[in-house]
Amino acid sequence: MSDKKRVSRRQFLNYTLTGVGGFMAAGMLAPMVRFAIDPVLQKQEGGTMHSVISVDEITNEPQRVEWTVDQVDAWYESQVQKTAWVYNDENGDILALSPICTHLGCTVDWASNDQYPDQFYCPCHGGRYTKDGVNVKGTPPTAPLPVYEHEVKEGMLYLGDSKSRKGA
Amino acid sequence: MLQKLYDWVDERVDITPLWRDIADHEVPEHVNPAHHFSAFVYCFGGLTFFVTVIQILSGMFLTMYYVPDIENAWKSVYYLQREVAYGQIVRGMHHWGASLVIVMLFLHTLRVFFQGAYKKPRELNWVIGVLLFFVMLGLGFTGYLLPWDNKAYFATQVGLEIAAATPVIGDGIRTLLAGDPSIVGAQTLTRFFAIHVFFLPAALFGLMAFHFILIRKQGISGPL
Amino acid sequence: MHRGKGMKFVGDSRVTAEKKANLPKDYSEYPGRTEAFWPNFLLKEWLVGSVFLIGFLILTAAHPSPLEQQADPTNAGYIPLPDWYFLFLYQFLKYQYAGGEFIVLGAIVMPGLAFGALLLAPFLDRGPERRPTKRPIAVGLMLLGVFATFWLTYESVQHADYAHRAEKYGVNVEAVESEIDKSGPGWEVYEANCMSCHGEALQGQGNYPSLMDTEKSADEIKDIAQNGIGQMPAGIFNGSDEELQQLADFIKNAGSGGGGEGGSSEGESSEEGSSEDGESASGH
Repeated sequence: MSDKKRVSRRQFLNYTLTGVGGFMAAGMLAPMVRFAIDPVLQKQEGGTMHSVISVDEITNEPQRVEWTVDQVDAWYESQVQKTAWVYNDENGDILALSPICTHLGCTVDWASNDQYPDQFYCPCHGGRYTKDGVNVKGTPPTAPLPVYEHEVKEGMLYLGDSKSRKGA
Repeated sequence: MLQKLYDWVDERVDITPLWRDIADHEVPEHVNPAHHFSAFVYCFGGLTFFVTVIQILSGMFLTMYYVPDIENAWKSVYYLQREVAYGQIVRGMHHWGASLVIVMLFLHTLRVFFQGAYKKPRELNWVIGVLLFFVMLGLGFTGYLLPWDNKAYFATQVGLEIAAATPVIGDGIRTLLAGDPSIVGAQTLTRFFAIHVFFLPAALFGLMAFHFILIRKQGISGPL
Repeated sequence: MHRGKGMKFVGDSRVTAEKKANLPKDYSEYPGRTEAFWPNFLLKEWLVGSVFLIGFLILTAAHPSPLEQQADPTNAGYIPLPDWYFLFLYQFLKYQYAGGEFIVLGAIVMPGLAFGALLLAPFLDRGPERRPTKRPIAVGLMLLGVFATFWLTYESVQHADYAHRAEKYGVNVEAVESEIDKSGPGWEVYEANCMSCHGEALQGQGNYPSLMDTEKSADEIKDIAQNGIGQMPAGIFNGSDEELQQLADFIKNAGSGGGGEGGSSEGESSEEGSSEDGESASGH
């Protein structure tokens, strides 16, 4: 064995020391890190569907519907209000759009700006979406408004979680 | 690559002497358990430090879930212990570590005392060490309240009554600690939290730094 | 080290420009078997630390840290107990000349003297001798203090029944996590007549037993509500027969009705039970 490849006693001790130190750090930190990242690894539960509005009341014009959801935030349980813009599209299908602007999370409003009567308008930075929720090019948002999962049961519209859509 | 980075920093900051001083300092034969098994008594100080490190780390992680508020404190502890992965272990480390650190400190103190290691020139380091002991007891006392269970609540009430027995300033001390002259409640919990998480650890770090600098400066006491 | 004229610095700093060899110190010629701290000695220390850590982790895994019921300032029956390292002081104050009228003596003067002496030990024990046998007074006093502390702690532990406390004051996991149907009429009757003793979740407290998963029949429950049982006096329930029936049905069904996923049928609140539940709960 050439002299270069030989591990000196000192080097050997250094390697062992690093190993033992690594073991101690891992033993201490592994449970703590797993503890800290637990929320990341928690599986998302599918949200339950909530009855929000009678199907008969839905028109071609987007209208604002509100409902409350029981939210469990670790040890804190509360009721959270949710909002959606609901209307029938050209094919007669129900579309429920989330009002949360995909730019920076402000709340968009239907036809609130006189200049754009047929669009969703965000007052924060002037972001605009067409009626089907697709963002208008040249305005700040880069993705369409999220869509709520929906189903119709016994003449009532049920809404679930909102799903974000790919950018246009 | 790493060597080059080191050289670059070393040229500018001259860090070699800093770590060489710590790495190369002399460890005499009489404290080395490899040569004399009875030298294991010298491990108590190091183990105290080790448990302290565990306490600091586990405490930091626990505050990710804990809230110091009488409505939610118990619920958050219950949640982190039952619902969060390894919550039982992390809280357990902090809980049992608190006991172990006292045990280790006690053994370390007895070692130093019976060896007469506090004699000239190491008087000052003994005083700092005893102050560290007091800080640890304070951390134990304040930490006991934080889960806000019955045990915590009633033990703290007893502790505050003992503090209130001090002549003249007793009631003042009690109010200062509890935040209210008669209630052990919301203000007590936030105060104890602040003391446990900020004030006493700050004192602990300062005193520990002093303790270690003095050990490094004076060296370990010689054999008997 | 280079001193005086001819010193070179890095830029305008005071860091010396001279290259020094980065070599470990050589202790081979020292008398005795001196070692360098890094890596020789630290390796031994860390090996001890590793063994310690393994033991420590086994301890934490084997004994989940206890958590009692949420603090209830109105709980008059609770017997307080401090953490074990304060027990010596707690026990000391029980004695006649340390507590009561002498509380200042017991709580302030005596501990103050003891800890003050500990703090100032180097200034009280000033002789040059280090061997314990050569300084009998200091060592004797310390032994006395250590012995007294141990003895007081032992006395206090003797009087505290930890197993009983864990059972009586521990969290009844099942009760906390069960969901009781509070919508029916039975809950209202329960709330009005029984809740103050048997608790919001039928979990009981102290001497009041848990009503969860009771083995008694509806008729027996009716009888107990009216006529009492054991320490429970008669005549606690006052209401109509209809309400009595609703109450009996409510208590009978409370255990089986709620609960949710798993765990509610194991009728134990021990620490082992709770740790198992904790693991299964975290797996969702």
